[in-house]
Amino acid sequence: MKLNRKSRRLIFLTVASAILLSLVPLPEILIPFKPYWVALVVIYWSLETQDTISLGLAFLTGVVLDILSGSLMGLHALSLVVMVFLVQHFRSRLRFFPPWQQALSVFVLLVNDRIILIWITALLGEPLPTWKYWLPPLVGMILWPWLFLLLDRIRAMSRQHKP
Amino acid sequence: MCLALQVNDKNLAHRESSGPGRWFGEDGTRTARLMIYILLAIVLMFMDQFGHYVPRIRSAMELAFEPVFHVVGWPAEALQALDQRTRERSDLIAENQQLLQQLLKVSGSVQTQVALQKENQRLRDLLGATRGRAYLFQFAEMIRVDLDPFSHKVWIDMGADKGVVIGQAVIDGLGIVGQVEDVHRHYSTVRLISDPDHALPVQINRTGLRTVAFGTGETSHLLMPNVPLQADVSPGDVIATSGLGDRFPPGFPVGEVERVERDSGETFAKVYIRPFAALDRGREVLLIDPQYVTNPLPVEQP
Repeated sequence: MKLNRKSRRLIFLTVASAILLSLVPLPEILIPFKPYWVALVVIYWSLETQDTISLGLAFLTGVVLDILSGSLMGLHALSLVVMVFLVQHFRSRLRFFPPWQQALSVFVLLVNDRIILIWITALLGEPLPTWKYWLPPLVGMILWPWLFLLLDRIRAMSRQHKP
Repeated sequence: MCLALQVNDKNLAHRESSGPGRWFGEDGTRTARLMIYILLAIVLMFMDQFGHYVPRIRSAMELAFEPVFHVVGWPAEALQALDQRTRERSDLIAENQQLLQQLLKVSGSVQTQVALQKENQRLRDLLGATRGRAYLFQFAEMIRVDLDPFSHKVWIDMGADKGVVIGQAVIDGLGIVGQVEDVHRHYSTVRLISDPDHALPVQINRTGLRTVAFGTGETSHLLMPNVPLQADVSPGDVIATSGLGDRFPPGFPVGEVERVERDSGETFAKVYIRPFAALDRGREVLLIDPQYVTNPLPVEQP
């Protein structure tokens, strides 16, 4: 499915703002709760549009996130590629789940992602993180339905305005 | 490779397996592409960790992304500005008073230090030893950006334009923070001493024992893994830089011994240090000028 330039731009804008959002400093107390914004937005787009977020695009997004957040180069790239692959694989089913079930699937995806990350950090000899490490998937799950509605609204609004 | 399969297997199991047929046809090529990207990511990670080219490319890219860091810092700066505007007058007066008291206390100890410095100098002259060193500091502030919690790196708001060079030691009001790792135009990155790859030549103040302190990946403690079993170390001992290795100037406090693990089966005792510097919450830091002045600065008479 070919997308017009406008929705491409919309995808670019939302992914870029998700990257910025993950860099914005938070008060100390909120830091452990910070959800994986980029993953949530990327999941949304690969659910709602067929193949616009290709694996290559996911990889590129991950590399940009790696550079900006100072993490190991390729870490987020790997995590987003796997994430998009899984969403594409189960897309036909995920799309028609009721919101709470969809949120649960998002939770599974995010936990899976954390498992991959913990595996890599363990290989690098970093100490294993504390239980707080598992909070972001939970927050992501809680935020998912609202984020979904918000992005749907943004998309509808951009459709109404003719270029 | 097997990672991807594992992942898939796990998720397949999660929602009733969709059968092996799914792996062929269009999905088959997708799986192949996934493999390629995963391999690429693994190569990237490997090269970033052990190679030289990727870190260099990365530093060039960071330069290109510099404006992003300024944009991201705005909300926090705006909030802080708002906070300062709306602060109560009484709060300000109280804070001012507290700062004045602190200043008085510090200038008191500086006065004794001036005398000590002079005495030290006289003794050194008597011994014909090298002259003492005094340092020049530059004030820098950490840029307000949340980085990956696993990278023990912070950004500071001074770069090549202010004369920052790679390897400069960074301290805060309490102790050693880290060293400058990469210098850009307007900002630089600092590697914290808590990084597992960071080694810091140190000395136990009480006994003069020289050893090396390694980061553990946690900001709350450092580790000295090769202290002899029978060495005289006990909790509470203050650890300072030894100045060996010519990267960190000698005599700056690092932390204090938290606990000592002596296992008779091992060759060395493990000594854990609690760093003084606010590695995880500090905002303002000082950069030590690399060309430390060999002649003590002319000290103003109090």
